[in-house]
Amino acid sequence: MSMNLIRFTLVMSLVLVLGACSNSASSGSAGDDEQASDFPTQSLELIVPYAAGGGTDSLARSFADKAEENLGESIAVVNREGGGGAVGMQNGMNAKADGHTVTMVTVELLTLPHSGLAQFSYEDLQPIALLNEDPAAITVKADAPWDTLEDFVEEMKSGDKLKVGNSGTGAIWHLAAAALEQEVGGELNHVPFEGAAPAVNALLGGHVDAVSVSPAEVKSQVESGELKVLGVMADNRVDSLPEVPTLKESGIDLSIGTWRGLAVPADTPENAVNTLQESFKETAQTEEFKDTLTKLGIGYRYENAEGFSELLKEQDELFEELIPSLNLNQ
Amino acid sequence: MDLLLLGFERLLHVDIILLLVAGVIAGIIIGSLPGLTSTMGVALFLPVTFGMDPVNGLLLLIGIYFGSIYGGSIAAILLNTPGTPASAATAMDGYPMTQKGEAGKALGIAVIASGMGGIVSVLMLTFISPQLARVALNFSAPEMFALALFGLSIISSISGKSVLKGLIAGVVGLIIATIGMDPMTSFPRFTFDQLSLLNGVSFIPVMIGLFAVSEALLGLEEQLRGSKKINKVIASYVLPKWHEVKRLISSMLRSSFIGTFIGIIPGAGADIAAYVAYNETKRFSKKEEKESFGNGNPKGVASAEAANNGVTGGAMVPLLTLGIPGDAVAAVLLGALVVQGIQPGPQLFTTSSDLVYTLFAGMFLATLLMMLFGFLGIRLFTKILKVKKNILIPIILVLSVIGAYAISNNFFDVYVMLVSGIIGYFMKKHGFPASPVVLALILGPMAESEFRRSLVMSEGAYSIFFTRPIAAVLIILATLSLVVPIMFKKRKTIEQLN
Repeated sequence: MSMNLIRFTLVMSLVLVLGACSNSASSGSAGDDEQASDFPTQSLELIVPYAAGGGTDSLARSFADKAEENLGESIAVVNREGGGGAVGMQNGMNAKADGHTVTMVTVELLTLPHSGLAQFSYEDLQPIALLNEDPAAITVKADAPWDTLEDFVEEMKSGDKLKVGNSGTGAIWHLAAAALEQEVGGELNHVPFEGAAPAVNALLGGHVDAVSVSPAEVKSQVESGELKVLGVMADNRVDSLPEVPTLKESGIDLSIGTWRGLAVPADTPENAVNTLQESFKETAQTEEFKDTLTKLGIGYRYENAEGFSELLKEQDELFEELIPSLNLNQ
Repeated sequence: MDLLLLGFERLLHVDIILLLVAGVIAGIIIGSLPGLTSTMGVALFLPVTFGMDPVNGLLLLIGIYFGSIYGGSIAAILLNTPGTPASAATAMDGYPMTQKGEAGKALGIAVIASGMGGIVSVLMLTFISPQLARVALNFSAPEMFALALFGLSIISSISGKSVLKGLIAGVVGLIIATIGMDPMTSFPRFTFDQLSLLNGVSFIPVMIGLFAVSEALLGLEEQLRGSKKINKVIASYVLPKWHEVKRLISSMLRSSFIGTFIGIIPGAGADIAAYVAYNETKRFSKKEEKESFGNGNPKGVASAEAANNGVTGGAMVPLLTLGIPGDAVAAVLLGALVVQGIQPGPQLFTTSSDLVYTLFAGMFLATLLMMLFGFLGIRLFTKILKVKKNILIPIILVLSVIGAYAISNNFFDVYVMLVSGIIGYFMKKHGFPASPVVLALILGPMAESEFRRSLVMSEGAYSIFFTRPIAAVLIILATLSLVVPIMFKKRKTIEQLN
């Protein structure tokens, strides 16, 4: 019996390993027509600064899966967590600048340095492609007394401090709520949680009055009628919540949220940057990739290197002003 | 009930059964390797499921989840090196049983208890999850703080011979837990500009160091001293007898319920559940029996294992009914569901009830498979005790390094693990228990952030801890469990003096 068991275990583990490999094994063949450049010469590494299984990780893995075919080299996704994303992004900046190490960067690339939690600058990286953008969505319980953003802002100004849950002090959803506070001149009681999920949980249990998180993070509760979204902090309405107005429609000029994109170290040679940009552009614009994002519930926004650089510059100015004004490190 | 039977019917496909079998076996292997946790195992296989049918993919992951929680107990019992944090409590009595030559019995009890915990929690998940989810929603910051405080009060009962040394170890753990970003203001504390310390000292490398590496170092010392004390541990293959199991049933049932309930509460996981259940079992046992906890009492193994497997079903409750992940594994499973286009939440039970009940049926089957392979594997697992120490120790050290590195692919964690190993070695030499440190590292950050979050919510009023019934009751229980043993002891000494 025990021999059989060993044999069985061996066979099963072999099957599993083969199954795991088959995803990445099918690359390697393309690439003959890319003789103009000597890049890529080997397989790529994609650094994800957050844990396996999270939203950023899922995005990176599904992108890498599709980009491999186009690029003709395999892409290994490596999760380097720590420091709220600082460890992984710092790693990406220090990597050999030959284009073979790509880093998934997020809005924390800009917010961490301004909060004094990281010493790097977004200029240490050369942006390649923006893949996603999600605005903050002001969400309350379905039976809350406020039906519109105007009602909510009215309450904010009344002096009654509403409790707004966020995903951690200095994290993007806290910054979003704080920016709203500054913009309308009201006062909120910011309650930080360890991530967005516990904040939404507290809202469901009625322990906070509202949360400012991404639409994806409240999607299922909104669909089931337990929560409602009063407004999104974006320039245009979001696809997943077409009936929810933007803050701009209510006359509040505020557009803030999270985004994710790909970057390489700043002094990467031009031909590598160009090859990556062309290849990633093609992958990012396939219907297949867009479908995956819809499934993951995260918003799609593609920008090339130039557009991404502009976004970084613009947002860096925003956070440079916003974060110090919040006096986070008292 | 009909829906559940239909669910079982849908499982009757060769490919589904094979996937579950593969998942459970892979889970047991992953769980038994120190450093490879359940979360990692499930996350590792997540991309594999992208191309699968939703039911198949999810059942593969569930198989890995269930298998790995049991798998962690194997290394905990045989080598005193918990494979996952969930089985740190199992080692407290499991390893002493191995030292007594009862390895087979300990593993057998672990399998039975794990199975019971799994079945109880899946039953509760199947029949009363919407009601349970409502209960979980009542848990806010003050309740979570009270729960963490209650958990910390356990330190006094898992300290082994010297309560004082246990408390010292616990306080050291709490101090280590203050390293990293302040949970409320994100201000970096004691980080010395080390990016790797911003999120605090990762607790799994510390656990690997304190348990596995220190044990390996002790073995190394024995080897160097050339002590003729060859492995006294007899690799016996003696399964527990029915009358032995019967004595454990009440402890296992109680622990299964504790595990399920703690699993439901978002933010509290299998590691905490195992310690709480262990403590409750000890509290409920007879006075003369209390001494034997920590020295190889089968009840200790049974309650820890029933509780940590109880968490598995419990963690699925908020995930499926509210769309909110209760712990790290559930968060990965949420990702798996969403990728498949399934949006968990209150609607799930009406819109895709066939999927939900197939999953429930699959969880039953996964639990049964886990028990089957657990039993079949006992003889195989115990063989590891026959491996000579000079071969086993290097293997454990290599696995420890790999495990610590794999947590976040950061070499810093390997240093943390090695330093903890050296500290753990000296702790063992001087009779300081490791469990209080681990418990403090798990619960310290939770207690701190929930305490301060409560005060943010109440805008500084301490009354929030006493005006909410669940919080108040838990805080009173925590205080009692600290004070009562001391009072009893005092009265006893006074009586003796008279």
